[in-house]
Order: sequence, then structure tokens, then C-alpha cells
Amino acid sequence: MNAATETYPYVEQTIRELLAEAVLTEPGELDHLPAETSLFAPEIGLESLSGMRLLAAVHRRFGVDVAAEDLNLDALESIAALTGFVATRVAEPPSDGP
Amino acid sequence: MASGSTIKCVAWDLDGTLWDEVAIERTDSALPQPTAEVLRAIDRLAERGVVSSVASRTDPTLLTALQQRDDLASRFVAPQLAWQDKSVSLRRISEELGIGTDALALVDDDAYERAEVRAALPEALVLAPEQVAGLLDSLPADPDTLTPEARARVRRYREEEQRKQAESAFTGSREEFLAWCRMRLRLRTAEAGDVARVAELAARTHRLNSSQLAPEAEEVAAALAQPQRWHVPVAELSDRFGAYGLIGAALVQREVAAEPDAWEIRLLALSCRVAGRGVARDFVRWIMDTARQAGAARVRLVLRPTDTNTELRILLRQCGLQAGGAWDEEGRAVLRRELVEPLPAYSPWLSRDEEGRA
Repeated sequence: MNAATETYPYVEQTIRELLAEAVLTEPGELDHLPAETSLFAPEIGLESLSGMRLLAAVHRRFGVDVAAEDLNLDALESIAALTGFVATRVAEPPSDGP
Repeated sequence: MASGSTIKCVAWDLDGTLWDEVAIERTDSALPQPTAEVLRAIDRLAERGVVSSVASRTDPTLLTALQQRDDLASRFVAPQLAWQDKSVSLRRISEELGIGTDALALVDDDAYERAEVRAALPEALVLAPEQVAGLLDSLPADPDTLTPEARARVRRYREEEQRKQAESAFTGSREEFLAWCRMRLRLRTAEAGDVARVAELAARTHRLNSSQLAPEAEEVAAALAQPQRWHVPVAELSDRFGAYGLIGAALVQREVAAEPDAWEIRLLALSCRVAGRGVARDFVRWIMDTARQAGAARVRLVLRPTDTNTELRILLRQCGLQAGGAWDEEGRAVLRRELVEPLPAYSPWLSRDEEGRA
């Protein structure tokens, strides 16, 4: 197991929290969704403004600038895709994380 | 520092500039009479697409008196009357109107106030009252070169003020507010009268601009003259507060040598004033509809990511447009989307008038 895969559960849980915040839903509301759920699916309902909020929050929390590093925005494909994109770029959770 | 041609709003000082007296030193509650010369300058600016506001270091309660005077209320948007630095007032105007501080000018008879703004906002233009004539001379005098959107800017900024107030007072959800606004989107093919505005949108939009392709008016006109090669769709928006005018345009090539069954969106440009209302998505959806009805199998879109168009990139991704191939040396890629797949839904809060189908 490498450093990236060890951080997956932490990153995925945090991504779900940031996502819930971005689409203005209750924390925990998205926890039951499979990781393969598309961010643009109606269950999540990401659109351009909430997408901007999500990318800003991911940048703040993980220091990963998805908009600049992923020109195709493939990371927005699903919860799993965004988790993978972020996790491979952060070796360990930031010490001032929650 | 800003030059005359980039100025969108002039903020006027009151005492000693708009009128000769000092308003709060009057014994009655009436406001002093503005000088005819300044009122004329304000109207000439408005004809050139430059709106006027107020930046006065004075008693904030004078605002009510200002708003009750028709000759003043109709001329000023987002007036700032407060015991605060003029640079603070200019920042407020910039926020309320959604324009940069580099598009603002202050006219003030007080050298201290001019110096304060020069120091705090070096990007803004700072003028003494006697320099206003020079500003007017530097603006394009020919009203024919002004688009209807530029000419209607004063009215539109006032409507925007009302919208912002209504939104902050609205108690329901964002979607309920959007529905309450009764937005109507008119989707049609561009006509000769739209050429200048299409070129202006292409040149002046950044946030909702896909490729930064900035065709001259002649090139837009040339595209209109070849409807078998080019589709030039435009979008106009209105709501319960008024009309936004023509807020979206695209240049769509109906023939792509490499992919004969594809339409290629070379440029998608929408005013940022309509961001966050589903307008851009519905416009893209309508272009896809039109392409599909004309027999295209897929839509291509030339995308050039910038620091400012991330929002549009997310929207395109949401609409199913994805980059298949490589990015070229200018940082562009071609996004694609098959039209056999279900198209993105139209926004339920927007009603649409569609005409001029290609």
C-alpha cells in the first residue's frame, strides 16, 4: 500500500463533506451514495456555481488546484474520481485538518 | 490608471462639484440646485454608455432627499453618501454594479479627496470638475458605434440594484427566487442588427467565454452572410425587473472538414450578469437541439481554459462535453458530445421563446 491509497478514506470522507457544503445540503446527506455516483447526477446536482464552490474548497483544504491541474475536469466525473485525483496529490492529511 | 475609453461609471462628488453649496449647511431640508453644466455632462456620458453615481462624504440621511428628486434619482445608480473615504465609496460602487474599480472615475473639486483615491485605487481615473470636458472628448462621440446594450446601461444598472435588493429580501430557496423573477429567454438566430453586439460580447466577456476568439464586426457579418456554413445563435433575457438585452452569442461552424457529421462551436460568449441562472446551460442545450434537428451526430466545442472561465468549463462538462484528444500548443482542446445521448435538461424556472431555427 502506498501513501496515496492510505489517505483515500480520509480524502473521500472530506470530499463528501465539501461536496455536501458546495451543493448546500446537510452534512452526511451524501454519505450513502456509491463512490461511482456522478457529481452531476440528480442525487448530487452539481452545477457551475456549486462546482466553483467545490473546487475552491478542495483547493483550500488540500492545496490541490483541480481547475489548473485537470484541464479536462475528469476529476469531476464522480466522487471516486475526485477522491483519486486529490489523494494521489496529497501524501498525508494536513496537520491542521479537522 | 484607467483611460476614458474604459470608463463605465463616473462617481460625482456633491458639494462643490454637482452643486456649488454645501448640502448639510442649508437651513431647509431641500437639496441645493445642481449646476446645469454638470447635469448636461452626466447626460452626455449616459449617451456614450457611461453611467453616473455619487461619492459624497456627507450625512447619509441626505440619500433619501436625493432619491426623492426625480432629476437626480434618474441620473445616479448606487449612490454613496457616507462619512467615509471616497476610495471606500468607489469600492462599494464597484461591488454593487459588478464592474472593476479600473472602470471607475471620480470627479471631485477637493484635491485631498482626489489624492486619497489616487493613492488607494491607482487603477481608477481621478478628475477635477474642469477635466470632465476632456473625458467627454475622449469617448467615442458617434452614437451609431454604441450598441443598444451600452446605451441602456444606466437603466440596466438600476434594474440590477433592484434585483439585488429583491434577492436579499427574498425568503424562499434560490430556485424559488429564480422562478419568482419570471425570466424569459429568447433564443434565435442573429440578424444584421446584432452584429456589433455579438462582436462586443466576444471581446468583452471572460468568465463565460469558451475560446477568447474575438471576431471583428465584419467577420461576424461575413458569418451571417454564409448561413450554410455558419450558425450564429443569440440569446436575449428579460425578467420581471426589465430587459437584459442580448446576453449570449455563439459562432457555430456547420461543416468541419475532419468530422462532416459534427457541428463545431468555435465561440460561446455570455455576459457574466446572467451567471448562475441556468441561462448558459439552456443556451448550450438549445444549440445542441438545433444541431441535432439539422442532422448533426455530435457537437464539438473549442475550449481554451483561462484563469477566469472555470465556471464555464464545469458547465460544459455538466452538459457532457468532454475533451477526447490532446491540447494544442495554444492551450486549446476540442470537446465533443454525441447527440444520440439524452441532452441536458432545460432549467425549469426559465421560459423560452425559440425562433429562427437553423
